[in-house]
Amino acid sequence: MSYPPKLSAVIELFAGLSDAEKRETLIAYADQSRLQEPKHGETFDIEDIRKDEECTDTVAVFMRLDEGGGVHFRVTLGPQVQTLTRAMSSILCKGLDGISPNEILEIPADFVPKIVGAELVRLRSQTVYYLLTRMKGVAKVWLSRQRAAGSSQPEGLPS
Amino acid sequence: MSIDTNYAHPDSLVSTAWVAEHINDPSIRIIESNEDVLLYDMGHLPGAVHIDWQRDLQDQLIRDYIQPESFAKLCSNNGILPGTTCVFYGDKSNWWSCYALWVFQLFGHQNVKIMDGGRDKWISEGRPLTREVPRFPASSYPIPSVRRDSEIRAFYDDALAQSRSGRPLIDVRSPGEFKGQVTHMPEYPQEGVLRGGHIPGAQGVPWKQAVNADSTFKSAAELKKIYQDDLGLHPDDAVVAYCRIGERSSHTWFVLNHLLGFKNVRNYDGSWTEWGNRVGAPIEKSL
Repeated sequence: MSYPPKLSAVIELFAGLSDAEKRETLIAYADQSRLQEPKHGETFDIEDIRKDEECTDTVAVFMRLDEGGGVHFRVTLGPQVQTLTRAMSSILCKGLDGISPNEILEIPADFVPKIVGAELVRLRSQTVYYLLTRMKGVAKVWLSRQRAAGSSQPEGLPS
Repeated sequence: MSIDTNYAHPDSLVSTAWVAEHINDPSIRIIESNEDVLLYDMGHLPGAVHIDWQRDLQDQLIRDYIQPESFAKLCSNNGILPGTTCVFYGDKSNWWSCYALWVFQLFGHQNVKIMDGGRDKWISEGRPLTREVPRFPASSYPIPSVRRDSEIRAFYDDALAQSRSGRPLIDVRSPGEFKGQVTHMPEYPQEGVLRGGHIPGAQGVPWKQAVNADSTFKSAAELKKIYQDDLGLHPDDAVVAYCRIGERSSHTWFVLNHLLGFKNVRNYDGSWTEWGNRVGAPIEKSL
């Protein structure tokens, strides 16, 4: 499967960077991770707030669907969450914005080393994959609920 | 809070206040070592250099530490000389700073200290961080004549001999890892170990028992109770400590060697990722 256009743009951006530039860009994305937190007054279709064995602190994933069936994520990260995971939260919130839950489930994780770079994908930094897994989990739960509710999907959502 | 003078070597530990006072001392190099590979870039102590446990301290082709030539180059690039006092600090309750300190001692660097409480304590006290990377004039660190593998490092055969002879083996992993219930740390992904359990005869003393809630080390009296009174170790014992890849056991090595004054402690850095995968390695479980 090809990546969604917004995520493809991020992957292409990183493809042209040196390791040092990748590092700087990841820091910039990590700095923006707080911008991905829920805004006052926002409501969500699914909220998944937990700390489990795959991450060192609480990670909260919030998902909202718009009228066209497009997904919008918000993420809150605890203070001990690794910097790479913070960067990935910004990248994924932007890169997956507006695609459908079914498309979320189809996204392969092989883009992660393309963005992060070989030097930083290592033992003890594997939690960088974790956030995509959590987002897929939320999308899957939403789809299951829709099926259970008799396919009362919003207009425009792929069947 | 001041450093407990009852430690065997109280000068091995410095407070955050001491570091703040000495931050511009040219005889001191402050070194950050973390598990989080980008944490230094997000902000560090003013004047602190970054030593990455994997990129800088490990050979990239062989599972081993760097050779003396590379160590000399690493020190020279950071303006460190044999007389420089290296003060280490980092994330995860100073796991990786103890690991880096242990590697420096592997090459015979004597003037080493840990900043008690690490990075989290510095931040919690509202002390400054910067993203400015310091540049120090290159020094000419002499190539160490030896790597002290036989003195402070244990290999598989050493750990096996320790097990067979009944000498002290300290497993510093979490209780679930020791018992063989899990093959990775709580809150960490699986890191490629085939079998769970511990080395026969090992005693489980999680590293965490040695620290307070704020990541500072417990007092000398508290540490003596844990390792000497309760566990029955004596400072003259030949002790081997291990974990999964050698970082948590570096922490315990620092406690036993520097804070309690044990004279013969070795860190088995191959640890459970070697033992738990090795063909023919005996395993004990306590489910």
